[in-house]
Amino acid sequence: MPGWERLRRHHGVRAGVICVLAGLTAVACGPVISAAPKPRSPEKIYASTCGYCHGQHVAPVIRGRALPPEAIVQFVRTGPAAMPAFRQTEISDTELTALARWINISKADPKEHEQ
Amino acid sequence: MSGFSRRDLIRTGAAGAAAFAAGANASPLDSARMLPARLDKEAFAAVVAELRAVVGADWVFADADSTLPYLKSFTPDPRHEHVPSGAVAPASVEEVQAVLKVANKYKLPLWTVSTGKNMGYGCATPASSGQMILDLKRMNKIIALDADLGTALVEPGVTYQDMHDYLVEHDLPYWIDVPTVGPIVSPLGNTLERGVGYTPYGDHFFMQCGMEVVLADGTIVRTGMGSVKNSTTWQAFKWGYGPYVDGIFTQSNFGVVTKLGFWLMPKPPAFKPFMVRHGEMADVAKIVEAMRPFRMSNLIPNVVLMMGAAYQLAMFHRREEIWDKPESVPDTVIRDFAKTKGLGMWNTYFALYGTDEIIAAVEPIVRRAFEASGGEVLTEKEMGGNLWFEHHKNLMSGQMTLEEKGIMRWRGGGMCCFAPVAPAKGAETSQQTELAQQILGKYGLDYSVAYAIGGRELHHLIFILYDKSNPDEEKKADDCIREMITRFGERGWASYRTGVNTMDLVAQQYGEANRDLNARIKQALDPNHILSPGKQGIR
Repeated sequence: MPGWERLRRHHGVRAGVICVLAGLTAVACGPVISAAPKPRSPEKIYASTCGYCHGQHVAPVIRGRALPPEAIVQFVRTGPAAMPAFRQTEISDTELTALARWINISKADPKEHEQ
Repeated sequence: MSGFSRRDLIRTGAAGAAAFAAGANASPLDSARMLPARLDKEAFAAVVAELRAVVGADWVFADADSTLPYLKSFTPDPRHEHVPSGAVAPASVEEVQAVLKVANKYKLPLWTVSTGKNMGYGCATPASSGQMILDLKRMNKIIALDADLGTALVEPGVTYQDMHDYLVEHDLPYWIDVPTVGPIVSPLGNTLERGVGYTPYGDHFFMQCGMEVVLADGTIVRTGMGSVKNSTTWQAFKWGYGPYVDGIFTQSNFGVVTKLGFWLMPKPPAFKPFMVRHGEMADVAKIVEAMRPFRMSNLIPNVVLMMGAAYQLAMFHRREEIWDKPESVPDTVIRDFAKTKGLGMWNTYFALYGTDEIIAAVEPIVRRAFEASGGEVLTEKEMGGNLWFEHHKNLMSGQMTLEEKGIMRWRGGGMCCFAPVAPAKGAETSQQTELAQQILGKYGLDYSVAYAIGGRELHHLIFILYDKSNPDEEKKADDCIREMITRFGERGWASYRTGVNTMDLVAQQYGEANRDLNARIKQALDPNHILSPGKQGIR
């Protein structure tokens, strides 16, 4: 189905404003879309952050190398050389602990590539 | 880190990484950390205690270790002038108001960031040392998404990745428009910096509609239609009634923007990406002349990227693969290496959107014009699978990528962007290229650039790539960008945006009357000057 036709049909069956923050009078209609954070899984953090560079022709492959978790934590918090640093507000300490452990024991992904 | 690269370290595996971790613990804030300008240690301790009472002890960062991530910056800071005193991270508008109350009481300067990934311009670091970072990343709710109108209302901590995931999860037929660091930055932050993306919705501030601002005294203002009781048009109509004020809250420090509305592009039924390959540096003028009528008429509707070969190569390669001397890589060396990758000296990426019929009608027209300019017009048929083509195809369709961050590895982790505006005229663009190459050559730096082509102008994005681990190189990069700003300014070419290290310098080029107006607004809205002093040169 062409995208524009699909868009028209979509509009025909859905409510307009999907959801809003409670208390926002201008468009109030329901609960918040993205709820208060609960720890994300290491897989999700890796896929939505680390994996865009590491193993994607940009930064070194880090899976399957048994990198020590404490070093991974330092990398993430300090951002050495060309790597950005990630703050506690972006990746919580709890999430980072689990992520570092996951990377430490993860197997290499043959689809990943170095720069 | 000196003596070995991080690549080497990772290749050595666990032992090397552990060695690095120990080294990282040894350095950071002890020597460089600074208190806010008007606070002594006792007052700062009192501030920290009061802020902890507002946001909770876990969300005030005022010791060496927890403040570490806020120090990270790719831009040169040879005199340590951009070192924060700490950070505070509220989770709600009410907490922002309470934080501002504390800041007013103690005259605490707060440097506001959303996701703090303003990569080429200082990341989360402040315009002057001692400011405390007001980190809004915890405010990360997508508040509203109107499926009929294709509008969104988000908080500062929402990333383009969050938006992308939401649209996919709910199968909504809209695209987002991303800057080159989409997954980890926010629509709110990028729009307030007046950043761009690469679909037809690429001018982000143009596509912005309504915002909520907390003023320094805690007053909450909703712009446009947002102030109307029971309004249903906050994200539908930009201009509201009376003076249009959204602009004064972009690239400024007149308030804390806590919500931002913007428009989403309806997913087109058809999309076709193109690359035009030109072989010589001097072709820049021909490309601009060929492109201008199409951008002015919107026949080519997206923000076009005209990518220099050196920038493109830096995405996926390191300098030592190409050139082992300290002086700038010669154009001939860049050209020859680029050729092996299917790239020209200039690689211009645009796309057509709409239906197959629309694209079939427009393609021959643009094809003829670019072929007449000496370019090779290439599509997926010829370039499919090419790393660079695929990257730009993703950008022009709002997909997530961080591949351009590879440029930071070209020469050791340092990067800052000089971004003068050029009129969309071939001769003048060519003059900018010549002047940039001349100045960069003096410092032994490479001409790594992208021209982002708007309707009638180009953002000439000149990336100074240097080795930040070497203090001499860092000073050289700092000297270079200052000379570039100054000498381009003498020709009437000023930046549209700049890093924290050069905000005053660029502000001077916009003249005293402009600075005085900004100062008067600042004094009226923030008399204690607590909000991001020095932002865009406004104190």
